[in-house]
Amino acid sequence: MTDKADGKRPWVFIQGQQAFQFDSQQHDSLLEAMEAHKVPVHYECRSGYCGACRTMTLDGQVEYQHQPIAFIRKGEILPCCCTPTTDITLVRD
Amino acid sequence: MKYTTFSREQNDALKEPMFFGNPVNVSRYDQQKYPIFEQLIEKQLSFFWRPEEVDVSKDRIDYQALPAHEQHIFISNLKYQTLLDSIQGRSPNVALLPLVSIPELETWIETWAFSETIHSRSYTHIIRNIVKDPATIFDDIVLNDEILKRAEDISRYYDDLIEATRQYQEYGEGQHTLPSGDTINISLRSVKRKLYMCLMSVNVLEAIRFYVSFACSFAFAERELMEGNAKIIRLIARDEALHLTSTQHMLNIMASGEDDPEMAEIAIECHAEATELFRFAAEQEKDWARYLFKDGSMIGLNETILCQYVEYITNVRMQAVGLPKAFETSENPIPWINTWLASDSVQVAPQEVEVSSYLVGQIDNSVDVDDLSEFSL
Repeated sequence: MTDKADGKRPWVFIQGQQAFQFDSQQHDSLLEAMEAHKVPVHYECRSGYCGACRTMTLDGQVEYQHQPIAFIRKGEILPCCCTPTTDITLVRD
Repeated sequence: MKYTTFSREQNDALKEPMFFGNPVNVSRYDQQKYPIFEQLIEKQLSFFWRPEEVDVSKDRIDYQALPAHEQHIFISNLKYQTLLDSIQGRSPNVALLPLVSIPELETWIETWAFSETIHSRSYTHIIRNIVKDPATIFDDIVLNDEILKRAEDISRYYDDLIEATRQYQEYGEGQHTLPSGDTINISLRSVKRKLYMCLMSVNVLEAIRFYVSFACSFAFAERELMEGNAKIIRLIARDEALHLTSTQHMLNIMASGEDDPEMAEIAIECHAEATELFRFAAEQEKDWARYLFKDGSMIGLNETILCQYVEYITNVRMQAVGLPKAFETSENPIPWINTWLASDSVQVAPQEVEVSSYLVGQIDNSVDVDDLSEFSL
């Protein structure tokens, strides 16, 4: 698995789902990209303060547009307000 | 430790635990042990709204036209939310302020409770607008068995903590004989345990119980009914998301032991009790769903769907506080609710609400000469 983003379109791997590349031209957040690729994901506020979309990652880095305030554990991300900067693997319940 | 409103201890607030340390003295926000609470205060302040900003005039007409069983659904939910916010508008202050020992959390508690009073005011705004006699609705809240059942299960965690805190601060640790002749055994650890369970129960209140009510309000709004109410509920939901985030942070900080190692032990001891608390609350909410829909269901929502949503949301909220899922349900049966909960589309601009007073036949437009009889030039 590569660590570097593939031409700035990092791969998003999700267990049991078709992998896809995140395109920052098309989507403002990982959540939007997941929705576009029909990945079921729970969300509520879509602004980083409710925590409903919290997702565990196995590897990869993300960047947040604003500091989120929802509670997340080490390794968890909030897809509603971040974008991947490297290839990333998400865990689904 | 005896409570004082201004502790003379020259303490370092950055070294105090969230609770049970020295009472807060200087309210300062230039430094925080836990910046998250400062961020929550700022966010909540930025969300400030007044119920009167929301036009609920069309709701009156909608409500009167609803069939009786839908009026029952709507008004029962409103009564229930009134109960919840009545409790929430006072209890975090009464129960938690005597125990808190860092300024950012003390002020967060006050800001949180204040925002709940805005919610209470919004229910009066709605109720006044849709019924002639608000008293019939408010008075039923303490008469209605179904509502009282849930009130008991929420307030007892707060009441237990308040009583234990009072005894601890009055008598200190150890065994004491009360004036009544009863013997009580007080330990700081048992008060901490009650705090932990109380916060868990508050998290359940805001993260599950409220959301069951929200689902009903939004189900009406999906049919373009009671839209003024839905706008208010969106604003309330936006606040509640912050509140549940705050209790999630508190519970998880406690469980990690970084703030108070004894709390980590308590969190482990309380694991089973906390799991049962969630499960029991979910079953109560399902009973409530049965009561809501006893006379009939509505388009988009019925007892079965709402019960599934209760199970789904309970699972989500349990995982957020480190508890295992209680139910098999893994999918949201009402995905449309999420559009209403998304924050960036919350708007209260009057032009956004369809004002039906322009509709012919809804309002009496006829003007009589007699109507002007009291004017004099």
